[in-house]
Parts: sequence; structure tokens; C-alpha cells
Amino acid sequence: MTVFCTLAGGGAPAITALQLNAGAIAPESAVLVALLACLLVDLAGEEAASRWVPPICYGGLGTALVLLALQWNAPLEPSFLGSFLADNLAIAFRGVVAASTLLSLLISWRYVERSGTPVGEYAAILLAATLGAMFLCGATDLVSIFISLETLSVSSYLLSGYMKRDARSGEAALKYLLVGSAAAAVFLYGASLLYGLTGGETSLEAVGVALQTSATPVTALALVFVLATVAFKIAAVPFHQWTPDVYEGSPTPVVAFLSVGSKAAGFALALRLLVGCFESFDAQWKVLFTVLAVLSMTLGNVVALAQTSMKRMLAYSSIGQAGFVMIGLVCGTEDGYAAMVLYMAAYLFMNLGAFACIILFSLRTGSDRISDYAGLYQKDPLITLGLSLCLLSLGGIPPMLGFFGKIYLFFAGWADQQYLLVVVGLITSVVSIYYYISVIKMMVVKEPQEASDVVKAYPEISWSLTGMQPLRAALVGCVLVTAIGGILSNPLFTWANSAVAGTPMLQHAIAASESAVAALG
Amino acid sequence: MIDPAPALLTTAWPGLALVGPGLDLQSSFTSTLEEFGLSQAAAHLLWLPLPMLLVLVAAVVGVLVNVWLERKISAAVQQRIGPEYAGALGVLQPMADGLKLLFKEDVIPKRADGLLFTLGPVLVLVPVILSWLVVPFGQNLLISDVGIGVFLWIALSSIQPIGLLMSGYASNNKYSLLGGLRAAAQSISYEIPLALAVLAVVMMSNSLSTVDIVNQQSGAGILSWNIWRQPVGFLIFWICALAECERLPFDLPEAEEELVAGYQTEYAGMKFALFYLGSYINLVLSALLVAVLYLGGWGFPLPVEWLAGALGQSVDAPLVQVITGSLGIVMTVLKAYLLVFIAILLRWTLPRVRIDQLLDFGWKFLLPIALVNLLVTAGLKLAFPSFFGG
Amino acid sequence: MTIASVTQLICFVALSLTLVLGALGVVLLPNIVYSAFLLAGVFLSVAGLYLLLNASFVAAAQVLVYVGAVNVLILFAIMLVNKKEAMAEIPGLLLRRVLSGAVCLGLFLLLLRVDLTTPWAVPGPTPLGEDATTLIGIHLFSDYLLPFELASVLLLMAMIGAIVLARRDVYSSDVITGEAADQGLIEKERTPLLLESPPRDTTLLEKV
Repeated sequence: MTVFCTLAGGGAPAITALQLNAGAIAPESAVLVALLACLLVDLAGEEAASRWVPPICYGGLGTALVLLALQWNAPLEPSFLGSFLADNLAIAFRGVVAASTLLSLLISWRYVERSGTPVGEYAAILLAATLGAMFLCGATDLVSIFISLETLSVSSYLLSGYMKRDARSGEAALKYLLVGSAAAAVFLYGASLLYGLTGGETSLEAVGVALQTSATPVTALALVFVLATVAFKIAAVPFHQWTPDVYEGSPTPVVAFLSVGSKAAGFALALRLLVGCFESFDAQWKVLFTVLAVLSMTLGNVVALAQTSMKRMLAYSSIGQAGFVMIGLVCGTEDGYAAMVLYMAAYLFMNLGAFACIILFSLRTGSDRISDYAGLYQKDPLITLGLSLCLLSLGGIPPMLGFFGKIYLFFAGWADQQYLLVVVGLITSVVSIYYYISVIKMMVVKEPQEASDVVKAYPEISWSLTGMQPLRAALVGCVLVTAIGGILSNPLFTWANSAVAGTPMLQHAIAASESAVAALG
Repeated sequence: MIDPAPALLTTAWPGLALVGPGLDLQSSFTSTLEEFGLSQAAAHLLWLPLPMLLVLVAAVVGVLVNVWLERKISAAVQQRIGPEYAGALGVLQPMADGLKLLFKEDVIPKRADGLLFTLGPVLVLVPVILSWLVVPFGQNLLISDVGIGVFLWIALSSIQPIGLLMSGYASNNKYSLLGGLRAAAQSISYEIPLALAVLAVVMMSNSLSTVDIVNQQSGAGILSWNIWRQPVGFLIFWICALAECERLPFDLPEAEEELVAGYQTEYAGMKFALFYLGSYINLVLSALLVAVLYLGGWGFPLPVEWLAGALGQSVDAPLVQVITGSLGIVMTVLKAYLLVFIAILLRWTLPRVRIDQLLDFGWKFLLPIALVNLLVTAGLKLAFPSFFGG
Repeated sequence: MTIASVTQLICFVALSLTLVLGALGVVLLPNIVYSAFLLAGVFLSVAGLYLLLNASFVAAAQVLVYVGAVNVLILFAIMLVNKKEAMAEIPGLLLRRVLSGAVCLGLFLLLLRVDLTTPWAVPGPTPLGEDATTLIGIHLFSDYLLPFELASVLLLMAMIGAIVLARRDVYSSDVITGEAADQGLIEKERTPLLLESPPRDTTLLEKV
């Protein structure tokens, strides 16, 4: 597709015959089509919606994933006149986002129907959030970044308040909205400073060039503002205050999406902005991120110890997990970036597997308190096994997928001499293993008479209701990948490495830092 | 707060002074002054307030005429005589009304919020008067040919609800508050179809400027007026304009039977007069804009070039210019007052709608129709560029 | 100094003063209605500043969107729930105010320093005046096409979401089983452990 623009009278740069290269957003288009189809089907009533919306969503997201796979290692061309770039990094993160939505949807149907809220709109809003997150992964100019960030955020606010008759859900939405809007405003301030520094350009490339020659104070300010937004999106301490309340009040499948999809998009944004733009301020932002990472790992994992609610515990644990991923970001080496991608992919499966288990448990018991899980092994071995495997993987116990992800991160950090980060990471990992294991101990070891009231009154296990089968499929799938993926993790390593190798931006940054090291040595 | 705007606009863009044929009072005025030895800037400065004052006076006189017409036509509809003692045919009656309001005691209720109570009517009136900036009476006969023309009017008219809410709230009276809320809801709801109808016209003339919009309708006299190309848009615009002016059948905000007098309940004296003035100026303004957007503005039903050619005169001759300029003003005013006449007739022929009917009509009928109209216009413009603006 | 530049300077000073004082008023005034009305004033003075920069389209859009839509909506919300109720005393209010004031002051000083030390490229690009509207259109359909289209998805979703959340469902039920549902979280809120054993509603039930 080509755009021919002629401007009578001149005054604007004439844009002639530039390639739009719209094929790069084909996966997003599939999601968009699914979104519109959901809205249309929803017009036919709730019954029709609950029958047709799930297949439409599977179709759209499946097509998106296939199209993403086809884009892998494709020749790189900026699309939409420099608004979007489908490099391998973007494809990897978009894949993580799309997969997290697919899994979140699989575990949502029963939850949403049980709560009596409309299914069609739920799916549509979640798909819109996915759309925003996917565009965020590949956006390469400030305006596109802002709009996709807002699409993701606004949909997330709506989703977290989706259980509208529940005061907790409303509170979560309001808190998220207020804090998120403040973060968006801060981002806009930072972006406007960057826009001013470039002299009227919004593409990240121009921003990067302008930053190399501009005065320090104003760029430092822009850096801090932009960094605050990124930190808000990935819920790094001290920008994490919204997380526990929002996670506790939001519908659980939404939390599953927020903790993986939204966070993956945040990390993609961090890479694009910090590595791509603030290259000349490498040392500064790395120091800041080191602080953020240490704080996140420490506070996230320590506070998680004291939680009584499963959702809240996972919220704090996700803050800690984000801290681990930041180690890869701070390294700035090929291994560091690859470890980030790998860990996000691993986190996708283990975290969503854990969420599938707790959704299933709350569907059957209406509770998410950790003490209510006591003695569950007697009544529901599937949940016990699945949750145990996923939590062990999150804690980084050897044969699981999470172990390899974490060890790769620590290895990359050690190789880059980030000793502080690695040591803090190791210690907090041990702390995290403590609270993960205590849940498992609660489920497995208790004698039958010590089981909680909820478990004593556990209902008959039945998978017959519509929406239970997808939940089971997602649960089993995630647990399988988490358990077996660790042993067969070699393809994942090669995949993560080729994601970094196929991204010119990262290669450029790696080469620059290596030459800097060589010059020093 | 927004008072600097007119001065500013004219400083930034000193009119479309030198483009196109027709009467150009500004350049002749400034060149005359420069001949007397004044600097160009000083001459310009002397020129600036003149069109503003002129238009302000024209607006107020327009209101007086309007009030008289309203009384006389209402009387005729109801088979009465109407005012007849104050001046011939009662033409001085509006003046008497105005004087009465001027001398009335200016009451501020004890529990009302004095500051907001005073500021409300001002905020209602000022944007309406500011909108006269963009009303053209001829090729160069307007205060300022701002590039954003009609868009400025739409933007300014969106300030009005703030004033209405303010006076409704400040009166400390539930009828006033309800009236203010109703007024704001109504004006927001009808602004959207209105803007969409304008957008269709703008799309055809490729410009937001009122002068360009009129010029685009000037090819073949009455046949090239936009009303033939935008019949639906014309109806939407007219209905929405009536609703924005709170004219019957859409005068819910001051529906006497329900709300005493809505947000005006507590007002008396000059503050009430400001509301009164605002609503009539707004009516004349809307009528003028309908004339500009759909009825060819200052254009005569037969193109003046043809007439001049038939009489063997050049269009650029000074005398012909003066005649065509005056004809333009007369035509604009004539068209506007024809529409005002229709509005007054409508007032006495249609019953008032209910608030839910009003909102349903705006959102569920006018808005979709306006969207379809926009879409069809875009399609027709692509299909027949010569008829619908290339 | 020409007359035009003096006019501009006066306008700038007047607008900036309104802007700053209005913004302070929005934040500091105890009466929320005054804050909301002042916000309209702030928006209008921002529009005035845009006019000074020869960006008339942006100015009109600012008035239309912020004053005509956003501010009116805020006022609606305030007036529909305008209950005068005594707020509970917030402990340590003075300390909180002093702290947030100090943070704001620090940020202000930082910005001031940045503003004064940065070599700004003045004068900037020449204003386009009337051509700006056309140029905005061209940008929207060329290099900003993607964000422009994405914004439509954003607005559509925001609208649908707002309707879903605000809609008053007459009844709600589980579509699959037909059981009544409460549109709340599945994880029910429960009383703390110690209070759990005696059912709380017995007194109420007895009364009924």
C-alpha cells in the first residue's frame, strides 16, 4: 500500500510513495477483527454471546499467534512511516501478550458467567487491552506509544472494575484509574520534553539522536519522567502501591492478564525507550534501575510473606518477579536481553498456571484465602498438583521452567558483574521459596481433620458446565509446559537468543557497550 | 479572560484584506489615514475597534427588531394586534422593555452565591457575542476571516453551558439547578449533530472559513446554494440550532409549567436582560449562520456578475462594488430574518417536547442521521467532485 | 517595539496570570464547585495561549473538548452529587499539607532550574497560521495514521466500557446455569476469622 500526498501551496514536507508496510500489523488486525466480531455477536443476546464469543476469541488470537510466527526473522522495514517496527523483540513480546490473553480468556469464561456480568463486552475489552499492549511492544514513536499505552490502561481500568456490584472491584478500578492517569500525565510531560529536545520530531530514532547532543538537566528530567511511567507499568517499587489493591479487587482472570500481558508490554516499552533512546544516558538509567530492581525484589518478596490472601500474595510475588526480570535489563548484554525474553515467556506459563488453579479453587469454594487451602490434597489432587508445580517453578526449584529462566538471568547478571543484583536476587529467591512452599505444605501435609471448613465442604468435582473445559485445558497446558519445559528448555533458549539477534536496536546497544568496555580495558 | 481574543485574532490575521473582489473598507480606511500622515500600525489600530463596535451595535439592533417581530408575529398568529402605542406599529416597544429592565432593581437572593450569580449571565452572553467575529456580510465585510471560521463558532458555543450551570447553581434554588442541568445537557446533546452537519458542509467547501463556504456557493445563484446539496444537513442544523437557542419546541430549561423559569428564575433587572439578550442574539446568529452555510450567505439569487454584465457594467467599478456590497448585506439580513420568522412561527405551532423525548431525539435520531449524512456527503464528493466540491 | 508585539506581551501576561492563579485556585480552594469553574478558566487561558502561538485550530479544539465537554461533565458530576456533608477529620492534615507542599515546591524549583539552564532554541519554527489545520490533517493521515486509527479503538472501548459499568441491569444471572448472580467477585468478602462463628444477621432476621 502506498500513500500519495500532495499539498497544495506547499509548507509541509511532501510525502510521496512511501511504504506503509501495513502487513506488519496483521496480527493486531486479527485481534481487532475478533474484537469487532465479539461486539456484533453480543448484540444477539447473552446466550448467543456465551456460545459464540469464545470461538471468535480463540480464532482471532490463534490467527494472531500464527501471523506472528510467520513474521519471525522477516526482513525488517519500518511500517506506518516509522510508527511501528516489527523486529524480533517486538514479535516475541507481542507473542507473550497474545498468549497471555488467550490463556486468560480460557480461564475467564466460567468466572465471568458465574458472576453474571456480560461476556461479550468482557472479551471485547480484554481484546482491546491486548491490542494496546501489542502495539506498545512495537511502537516506535512517542505518539503511538502514548496512544497504545492509553488503550491498554483504559481497558485495564474498565476490566478491574468489571465486577461492578462489588465495592472492592470499584475501589480497585478507581485506584488504578487515579494512579494510572497520574502516570500517564507524567509520561506526557516527559514526552513533551523529548519532543521539544528533538525540535518537533516524535520518532524514537530522532529522540535518540537529539539526546546525544542535548543539555543534561532537561534530559535527566525527561529520563526520570519516562522511567516513572515504565516503572508504574511493570509495578516496580516504589511505583507499586497500586498493585496489591488492584490485584485483590479485580476479577482474578483480569489479574492474570495484568500480571503477565500488561507487564510484558511494559518491559518491551522499557527496552524500546531506555535501550533505544537513552543510550547516551546508559549509566544513569542503569543505576536507577538497579535501585528499582533491588527494592522490588526485596519488598515484593518480603511483604508477600505476610499475606493471607492468595491474590494479594501473588501480587507481591509479581512485584518481586519483575525485579528479577530487571536484572536482565540492567545487564545490557546479549545474554541479559535473551534472559529477559526467556523469563517473560516462562513467567507467562507458570503464573497463568497458578492463576488457573486459584480461579478453579475460588469457583468451587468462593474463597481465595491461603488458610482455606489447608488439606486440599485430599479433595482435589489436580489443583494441588498444578498449584504446587507452578509455585515451585515461580520460586525457581530446579527441574521446573522457572529455574532455568532464573538461572539464566543470574548467570547473565554475574557475567556482567552485577554482583549486588545477583546476590539480592538469590537471597530474595530463597525468601520467595519459603512462602511458596508454605502454601504447598498447607495443601499437602495437613491431616484430613485439620483441613479448613471450606475444604471440608468441598463440592463434587464436575467439569460439565460450559467454560470449565477451557479452564481445565489451560490449567493442564500451563502446568505441563511449566513442568516439562524445564527439561526441554533448549528450543526456548535458542528462541530467546534469536529474538535478541534479530533486533537491530539491541544489537546496536550491545555493540556500543562492548566497544565502550574495550575502550576502558 | 477571553476578551483579548478578538483583538488578538485581528492582530494575527488582519482580515482577508486583499484577496478577491468586492468592497474592502479596511484598506480604503487605512490608506486614507496613511495619507493624513499616520503610520500603518496606528491606522490599523484605529481601524480595529470600528468593525467590532459596528457588529455589536448591529447585534443589539438585530435583537430589538427580533423582539418586535416576536411580539407582532405572535400577536398575528393568535389574532391579536400586539404592541401598537409605543411608536408606529409599536416599534419602540422593545426599547421600552429594555429600559424597564435596565431600571429594575437588581436582586441577588440572600442565600445565593453572589459572585457566580453575577458571572453566570456574563458567561452566557460573551461567547455569543464573540461568535459574531466570523459572520460575513460580504467578501470583506466581517471582523476577521479566521481560518477556522465555523469551528470557532462551534467551540465558543460550547462555553455557554458553563454559564448556564453556573447561574443554575448559584441561584440556590432547585428549579434553577434543574434548569441549568437541563440546559447544559440539551446543549451538549445537540452540539454533536450540529457539528456533524457543519462538517458535511465544510467537507464540500474544503475550508472552515465562512467566506470560503459562501464563495463556494456563489457559482450559479440560487441553484448553487448548499440547501440543495445538503437538504438533510440543513434540517439537522436548523433543528439543532433551535435546540441550542432553547427556542420552543425545545425550551425545556425554562419550561414554565415544570420549572417556573429554569435557571432564570431568580434573576431580575439587568442580569435577566443579559440572558434575554443572549438568547435573542444567539437566535439571530444561528439564523445568520444557516444563511451562510446553506443559503448562499450574501449571494443574490441571481449571480451579481450576470446582472452587472447584463447592464453592461464592470464588476470592479466602484459604484457597482458599493451596490453589490449593500445588496450582500441586505441579502444576508433578509435570509436571516426569514429564518427568524420561521422560528417564531414554529414557536406558536409546535408543542414543547418532554426531556426524555428531547434527549432520545438528539442521540438516537439526529446523531445517526447526521453521521449517515456525513458519510453520504463524503461518498458523493468522491463520486461527483464537480457538484460536491473537489 | 511595535503595537502588535506590545499587545501580544500584554495578552501573554494576562493569560499567564489567569492560568497560574486559576490553577492554584483549583487546587487550593475548599469549595469544589469553585474549583471546577476555575478549571474552566484555566482551560480557556490555555486556549488563549495557543491563540498567541498562532495555533487557532488547537485553541478552538481545546475550548470545544476541555471547556465544552470535560469541564461540563465534571460540573455535572459535582452538581448531581452535591451533598454538603461533614468530612471526617483527617489525622495529621497539616503535616500532610506541609509535606506535599514541600514536594511540589521542590519539583517547581527543579523545573525552574532546568528551564533556566537549558539553551532553548529560540525563536522556534515559524508559525504556519492558517495552513496549520491542513497540516494537522495531512499528519493524521500519513505519519500519525497508526495512532489515529488506534485512538478510534481506544474511544470505542472507553465508550462501551463506560456504558457497561454505568448500565443498571434489572436482573443478572449466570447464563449457563440460570442461577441468580450478584455481579461481584467470586471470592466473597468474609468477616475476620475471630468473628466468623456467630452469624451476624440473626438479630436482623429476628426483627424481620
